Amino acid sequence: MKFLIVEDEESLRNSINQYLTVEGNICDHASTYEQGYQKLSIYDYDCILLDLTLPDGEGLQLLKYLKKINKADGVLIISARNSLDQKIEGLSLGADDYLIKPFHLSELYARVQSIVRRRHFNGNSIFHFNEIEIDTTAKETKVNGKPVYLTRKEFELLLYFVVNKNKVISKAAAVVHIWGDDADMADSFDFIYTHIKNVRKKLTDSGCKDYFHSVYGVGYKFTDS
Amino acid sequence: MKLFSSYNRILAIITLTGLIVIGFLFYQTLGQYINKQIDDHLYEELLEVRDFTHVKNILPSPDGFDDVIVDYKKINKLSDKRKYFADTTFYNPKKKHDESARYLKTALILNRQPYEVMIMASKFERQEQIKSIILIILLPVIILLLILWLVNRILIKRMWLPFRQLLINIKAFNINQEKVFEPVQTNIEEFRELNNAVLEVSLKVKSDYKEIKLFTENASHEMMTPLAVINSKLDTMLQSNALGKEESEILADLYKATSKLTKLNQSLLLLVKIDNDQLQDKEEIDLKALIEEKISYFQELIQKRELQVETKISAFSVFANRSLIEILINNLFSNAIRHNNDGGSMMVTIKNDSLIFSNTGSRNGLHPQKIFERFYKDNASDGTGLGLAILKQVCLKQNYELSYNYNQEYHQFIINFKSSENKSQLTML
Repeated sequence: MKFLIVEDEESLRNSINQYLTVEGNICDHASTYEQGYQKLSIYDYDCILLDLTLPDGEGLQLLKYLKKINKADGVLIISARNSLDQKIEGLSLGADDYLIKPFHLSELYARVQSIVRRRHFNGNSIFHFNEIEIDTTAKETKVNGKPVYLTRKEFELLLYFVVNKNKVISKAAAVVHIWGDDADMADSFDFIYTHIKNVRKKLTDSGCKDYFHSVYGVGYKFTDS
Repeated sequence: MKLFSSYNRILAIITLTGLIVIGFLFYQTLGQYINKQIDDHLYEELLEVRDFTHVKNILPSPDGFDDVIVDYKKINKLSDKRKYFADTTFYNPKKKHDESARYLKTALILNRQPYEVMIMASKFERQEQIKSIILIILLPVIILLLILWLVNRILIKRMWLPFRQLLINIKAFNINQEKVFEPVQTNIEEFRELNNAVLEVSLKVKSDYKEIKLFTENASHEMMTPLAVINSKLDTMLQSNALGKEESEILADLYKATSKLTKLNQSLLLLVKIDNDQLQDKEEIDLKALIEEKISYFQELIQKRELQVETKISAFSVFANRSLIEILINNLFSNAIRHNNDGGSMMVTIKNDSLIFSNTGSRNGLHPQKIFERFYKDNASDGTGLGLAILKQVCLKQNYELSYNYNQEYHQFIINFKSSENKSQLTML
């Protein structure tokens, strides 16, 4: 996949770049409105990560321009502004999703993949990871063709790990992904352990290999190596 | 004491004392004047007695006088020729009672004999006269004073009317509401000045408050980007293959701190957002369904702490903004789970337009007002200290009555949805 990161904060841009550049993904970046404008005029991207506040212009203008020149690139807005109006405006202008800073890179990658999935496969996408098969539309999981019953949150968690495969996901990131920002539960990381234990058990009970690897209490990695 | 009663009290004391002093002096002067008149009359009578004796060589009969009583007494020697005037009482045989009187006593030679002569005149009529005079003068004065007092009372009441209205308006002024202070229409200079001063202060307070809110909002927003950088760097570090146990533990702590900081920032922003009434779209919300949904949403947390959840919910709906109500319910649940004991219990009840969250927890009741203050939390709490403040802010904005009490080992948070009509309770909160 090919991404464009339009973000003026250099260190953030680099981190995103590093995280997304896996499995043959290519990242291009722009730090100003002008650079972004030029790049998206010339190239096509699977997804554009767009910061709304740029030193020389509004990110929303880039979005308008993109729609004007009829490009079908996916757009994920990343903004520090958690304002409902801006969110609505961004989405109505054709952005696919809206991610509020600060975010976890695993969350960002999951959202980006979801956008690309929706655009390329019309949302009807089935994930395969060795013997595991995840149907994101029907929200069904199968191991070796046999269905495994997972709760909604367990399903979300498994999908989150599968799309971020071979990456370590911190407990903090998993909590935010499952619980969102609403609950004042940001510090209760430990319960994610119970959650993962449940998912693990259900999968291994259906004859699946255990792909979850704990990383010294800070997070988990979903990998078969 | 009210200004008017204080003023009146002083006025009444002065008026009454003045009236008494003046009345006394008036009475005294009049009495002396009357005495002098009687004394003159008595002296004239004495002269008459002397002339009569001189001409007729006999003493006039004591019965020969109309309005005075004359008495002679023979004495041996004429020693004291001075005239004595004094008050006395005598028995009036005609009227058959004692009357006060004035007499003149002197010694003089009558028919070449020394006599002590006493001439006495009744003061009764004169006294009656004095009484009438005083009554005629004092009564109108007292009536006049009464009228003045009444007029004063009515006038002052009417003049203070704008002041009272001003007070009501000041009390109604709420920094959290859009409504600005309402000036009172009045022609009285002092009140107009007060009016303007209060108006100015209220506008200043409003703008200062707005500035603080804006500052909080901007500061929180500005912090989001550095937080995003920290988060992304942590995520990047986490991918390192060289991560040992020690580094991982450090990373875990950093994640925790960053999450908390993020949460804090989001809570502050949320408070500002609620303050600014940015969540406006209202709809009918089925509270029963929402609570049931939230119980399943919080299920893992409830299970992890082994809490018993009991619900007594009747069908109930509120007309409000969905986000606000969700924040409300989320915070109530978070609070009841976070501050519970492992294996404790919680109860959600809806009755009489009230939503009640009860939970076990610490053995002591909490301060019913302080717990809703921003950043107030007990030492054991790991939260942001803003959850209940947000709860209070939502209730304040929606005119719900929020209260806390500790009852039989249960901490209870009660939200009365129907208190919207009762604004006075809201200002107490």
